[in-house]
Amino acid sequence: MGDPEAFAKLELELRRGVVVLATLSQLRAPRYGYELRQALAEKGMAIEEGTLYPLLRRLESQGLLGSEWRITEGPPRRYYALTAEGETLLRQLTAAWRSQNAALDSLLEEDGR
Amino acid sequence: MNAEKLIESYVTEVAQRLPRRQRNDVAFELHALLHEELAAKAEAAGRPADPEMATELLQGFGHPTHVAARYRPPVTIIDPADGQTFLRATVIGLVVIWSLGLLQAFLAIPTANLGWLTALGYWWGGTVIPSLWWPGVLVVSFGLAAWSRRRWPERAVWQPRTREHVQGGRTGLVFAVLGILLGLAILLEPRRLLDVVWQGRAAPAAYEALTYNELFRSQQGPWILALLLSNVPLLVTALVQGRWSPALRRLQVMSSLGLCGVLIWATLGGPIFDVEASDRVTKIALVATVVFTLGTLGHQWFRRVRPAPRSPRAR
Repeated sequence: MGDPEAFAKLELELRRGVVVLATLSQLRAPRYGYELRQALAEKGMAIEEGTLYPLLRRLESQGLLGSEWRITEGPPRRYYALTAEGETLLRQLTAAWRSQNAALDSLLEEDGR
Repeated sequence: MNAEKLIESYVTEVAQRLPRRQRNDVAFELHALLHEELAAKAEAAGRPADPEMATELLQGFGHPTHVAARYRPPVTIIDPADGQTFLRATVIGLVVIWSLGLLQAFLAIPTANLGWLTALGYWWGGTVIPSLWWPGVLVVSFGLAAWSRRRWPERAVWQPRTREHVQGGRTGLVFAVLGILLGLAILLEPRRLLDVVWQGRAAPAAYEALTYNELFRSQQGPWILALLLSNVPLLVTALVQGRWSPALRRLQVMSSLGLCGVLIWATLGGPIFDVEASDRVTKIALVATVVFTLGTLGHQWFRRVRPAPRSPRAR
């Protein structure tokens, strides 16, 4: 039986690598933090709130996301969406992810035979 | 404290650690988001939000220091790749400084008529606490090196280098030869230094302080001179060849070990100078030189690489 602590650590590293891609993928249309977290969780990509909310600000400061406060319905909420630069990066990351995923799939299938 | 106050206090703790320009905006957003998280948690639990639930949520969110750090791009002062080297340099440097300070404190016990505890107190206040300059210097140096590698990555590209590489290049060797010759000139007659600096007008006590003990002059002195001088042809050969051949390296190591032996002999074998104060200071300098030289040689020996398969452990 593998070491559960080592597994948890390595799995966290795997997830860390895709957090940005997962986040960008769900911001083609504007979303606020909590809504985004729910959307990601519903699709099987639960990201801790303490990680996701600060990440949104960091991506914004890198010019990949734009944001605005909306107070039309309910409490004031800050909505985030991809900028043009963010869209370009999303396309590049998606292509890179698909290529790596295909390679890894093929490696794992070989190993599983 | 109720759930609302807990969230407020948490948000304030996070926001206080953020830059002023984003502090209020992040606090406002974080406050709203935590409220939504708490409401969802309460709904899932089927009961109104209470302080325990809020505490659990906030603890899961992370320590305010860590959360605040996540809002900003990570700052790396020392490259992770340099971490081990930094740690080693810090520990070795501190051990050397503390050991020399301890030696100085113990040497002062008979002369200043100090007790052991008083000497240790002087060592603590005069060596250990001030020695923190060393880690400080290392942090700045490693930080500048890391910054420079990020700023000019093209200069940090690996370059092929053989084991015969001359550290500091030919210029370094020229300076080493000049340094040895200058050191020899001073060693032959240290009082000449007073003539050079004060044009012969230095106090008679200064001349007296730099007068060798006759026994040292006849016993250890010539050996030190000879061993120092033996480095000159080695350095000149390396300068001409532009490399340190294995034979030259071996000769240099032997010369350094010989010099260390003679320096230890000089330190323990009687007075070097007739005046006690200059004798003590010189011996401290000699001990420091021996420690540094042996430390450098030991470091080189410890870090040598001889590729070979690891032998299986005997069971």
